[in-house]
Amino acid sequence: MSVFLSSLGFGLISAAVLAIATVGFTMQFAVTNVLNLAYGSVMINSAFVTYYLNIHAHLNAWVAMVGGVITGAVASYLLNRFVFTPFQRRNLPPITIVIVALGVDLCGTFGLQAIVGGSYFSYRQSFGSEFHFWGMYLSSLQLTIIGICIVVMGVIHWLLRYTRLGKAMRATSANASLARNSGVRTQWIISTTWLISGALCGLAGTVFAMNTGVFEATSAQLYIVLMLAAMFLGGPGSPYGAMLGALTIGVATEVSAGYFNPEYKEVIAFVVLLGMLTFRPYGLFGSEKTI
Amino acid sequence: MNWNAIAFYVATIIVYGAVDSMACLGLNVQFGFAGLSNFGFIIFQAGGAYVAAVLSMGAWQKSNGGFQQYALGWHLAWPLPWIGAAIFGGLLALPFVFLVGKRLRGDFAAVGLLVSAVLLNQLVNNFVPLFNGAAGISIVPAPFQKYFNPQGLGYQFAYGGVAVVLCVFVYFLVRRVTESPYGRSLRAMRDNDIVADSLGKNVRVQRTSVLVLGGMIAGLSGAVLVGFINLWAPGAWGYAETIVLFAAIIVGGAGNHKGAILGALLVPLGFEEVTRFIPPLSNPALVPALEWVAIGLLIIGFLWFRPDGILPERRRILSGSTPHVTAVPTSDDPDALISLGNLEQLDFRQLLRLEGNADDHGIILATEGLNRAFHGVTVVSDVSIQIQRARLTGLIGPNGAGKSTTLAMLAGTLAPTSGKVLYEGRDITSMPSNERARIGMVRTFQLASEFKKLTVLENLVSAIPRQSGDSFSGALRGRRYWGREDTENIERAKEMLEGFGLTQYGDNYAGGLSGGQRRLVEIMRALLAQPTVLLLDEPMAGVHPNLAHKIGDQLTRLVASGMTIVMVEHELAIMDAFCDPVIVLAEGQVLAQGTMSELRAKKEVVEAYLVG
Repeated sequence: MSVFLSSLGFGLISAAVLAIATVGFTMQFAVTNVLNLAYGSVMINSAFVTYYLNIHAHLNAWVAMVGGVITGAVASYLLNRFVFTPFQRRNLPPITIVIVALGVDLCGTFGLQAIVGGSYFSYRQSFGSEFHFWGMYLSSLQLTIIGICIVVMGVIHWLLRYTRLGKAMRATSANASLARNSGVRTQWIISTTWLISGALCGLAGTVFAMNTGVFEATSAQLYIVLMLAAMFLGGPGSPYGAMLGALTIGVATEVSAGYFNPEYKEVIAFVVLLGMLTFRPYGLFGSEKTI
Repeated sequence: MNWNAIAFYVATIIVYGAVDSMACLGLNVQFGFAGLSNFGFIIFQAGGAYVAAVLSMGAWQKSNGGFQQYALGWHLAWPLPWIGAAIFGGLLALPFVFLVGKRLRGDFAAVGLLVSAVLLNQLVNNFVPLFNGAAGISIVPAPFQKYFNPQGLGYQFAYGGVAVVLCVFVYFLVRRVTESPYGRSLRAMRDNDIVADSLGKNVRVQRTSVLVLGGMIAGLSGAVLVGFINLWAPGAWGYAETIVLFAAIIVGGAGNHKGAILGALLVPLGFEEVTRFIPPLSNPALVPALEWVAIGLLIIGFLWFRPDGILPERRRILSGSTPHVTAVPTSDDPDALISLGNLEQLDFRQLLRLEGNADDHGIILATEGLNRAFHGVTVVSDVSIQIQRARLTGLIGPNGAGKSTTLAMLAGTLAPTSGKVLYEGRDITSMPSNERARIGMVRTFQLASEFKKLTVLENLVSAIPRQSGDSFSGALRGRRYWGREDTENIERAKEMLEGFGLTQYGDNYAGGLSGGQRRLVEIMRALLAQPTVLLLDEPMAGVHPNLAHKIGDQLTRLVASGMTIVMVEHELAIMDAFCDPVIVLAEGQVLAQGTMSELRAKKEVVEAYLVG
């Protein structure tokens, strides 16, 4: 039981980071139909902007995080505006855009590595005091990340359900041309979605780096696999599905690590992803994409 | 200058170039020809390398004091390990067949393969007993090392020679497959898999065959590589290595074998060799990092500025005459389209091998209580209809009446939620559409559905059923086996083309034609599939009325020759002129059926149209 509870604690913190990342990723897919495999590289670049502000501009890590969030938002917006949109205008099949995204990912990740080198980095930040409850051990840093995640998910829920912008996003996701004909300024909605999802991406990058403690330029390269698993579990393009998927994958990987060989902890995510792609490519509940 | 060192260097380059070229040829068949984006391609090369290694090595406890662990260790003589590697590469493809069935979007399948590559790399990395984990397998014996010194220059050049010979063999092998009727079907699937399926191509089988073929080639290339470098570890086959091969094909030219080889020599080989001469810098990660950045930029840059690569896919000229591509009129000139044809001279019975008896009007196709719902919304409910042989049955109704949905369920492109479809009394509800096409039910689509990067003639010929070269084994038997039949098929397609007055466009890519011309190509293609029952989904939509009538006249002639036709249409005038009987659908249900004059008398039919 104690193994279960302590690994559940790790699972919750993993899930919190994963949820922030996956919600942004799935929103991009929802409005533009792009599997943005360059997401991880934007995450890690944002994390490094936070690092720069934290170490060289001597800002508190939580304040520096704002810089990371802005980086993620701006980079994602530019990526969509100047790379994905022009390619999509040529009516290329989705796979071509995915290949382009992989190319962008290589440029982003290794361009960063060329600048910062291959060594490891960490923020100037304390993990804070450790809390012990219900058999779980969590630092105040980790509790803060979970708190941030809950607030962010609440904001996304409010945005999608109770604002005009959210309604327009859902309409664009369901049927872009119909939305456009109904007077929704889809181009503007898509840009805004990339800004918001990019902000989530930047935030995810920073909390990911905080949570791992030490990181380098290629640290987030395989994180995309966990995000894909969470997204496909909940149904591609569905933010709520992404939240649920992230919770499941985050907890499942850490709990399995508690009981089995931790080297294989991500295997469960791979298996879930391949299983979903094979049997239920539109998620456990969805039949096609819905936001 | 140390000439000896240069000679060794040249030998190494030859081997690497041959290995990369083989891999790119294999991947190009999948990606460039069949449109299958195998993002996990590197695992097939890796699998071949491991299998070749452990087949050639002795049992691990005995051979090297047990400092490395691995499975098998059969100590087989060359070439058995290489053959084993190729076979293993082919077998490794089989688990992925479920990912590439027609249900899954191409990019989703690609992601699945990418993730599989990452997963397998991690598993091999962490699970030591299989292939010695992260440390990898080393001191893999070179072939014939008992008799020759593998470090000798002569040996190294001989090895390079064998690698080049194998590469040439692979080149002719893939060319034999792709330049056959089967290769035409692969490219048709690449351009539009749903349409290829509706014309009787078994998409799953086609994808499986290229996965296996590419897997075998990749496995062989891995074996050649490991026999030369004598070690193999997970670090050598990260998932990103596949991206390098994709970059090679995009740069060289997808769908062109020479392009694949050129790409292999420029990208993987070029990058590795050029960077070797850059002096070490203070930051050791800089050069490899910039290499990856360059690969990324190459992919993006080529896809934007030169998406067809340095050597674009070659246009296949079937017309026999000197290649000529006719300029397409910017707007449809209906008179030009109509006046050019001499349709009346086409003998459909002979050209389409029609065997049906035009006087037999028995029931050929029927549905019983057909239902279909999308997201809980019923679109077709309890539709029971009967289609008579050798008649042109019209399916009419207002927008959203469920006409196209019903037609799709007849053709098998859409599965009913409940109910039955019966063909000549036999329940075919669960029969996939490609099988239905092969027993004689062929459909057309409402939206443009030509194979864009096939020429007009290729579009037509690809539809002809039962081609002996249109299977993997048939393609392997070569032109001598299928060539004469293919020539006859091309002649039939030309005859059809002439009848429709489009002869001069035979070698044009179908994707470049005008809207009206593409419509005609689709109709000709569906006819050449030799249907017993032809299912047309609004064939006249967007066609000039004069041309529509011309098409209608030919449909009448086809019916008189014994073909059964079901046509979805919402133009009453067309129904009036050509269809008998007519079935009226409204809000997903059968409202009435009969001749047009009978229907006009019915109040509810008129109302459905006014309301709809």
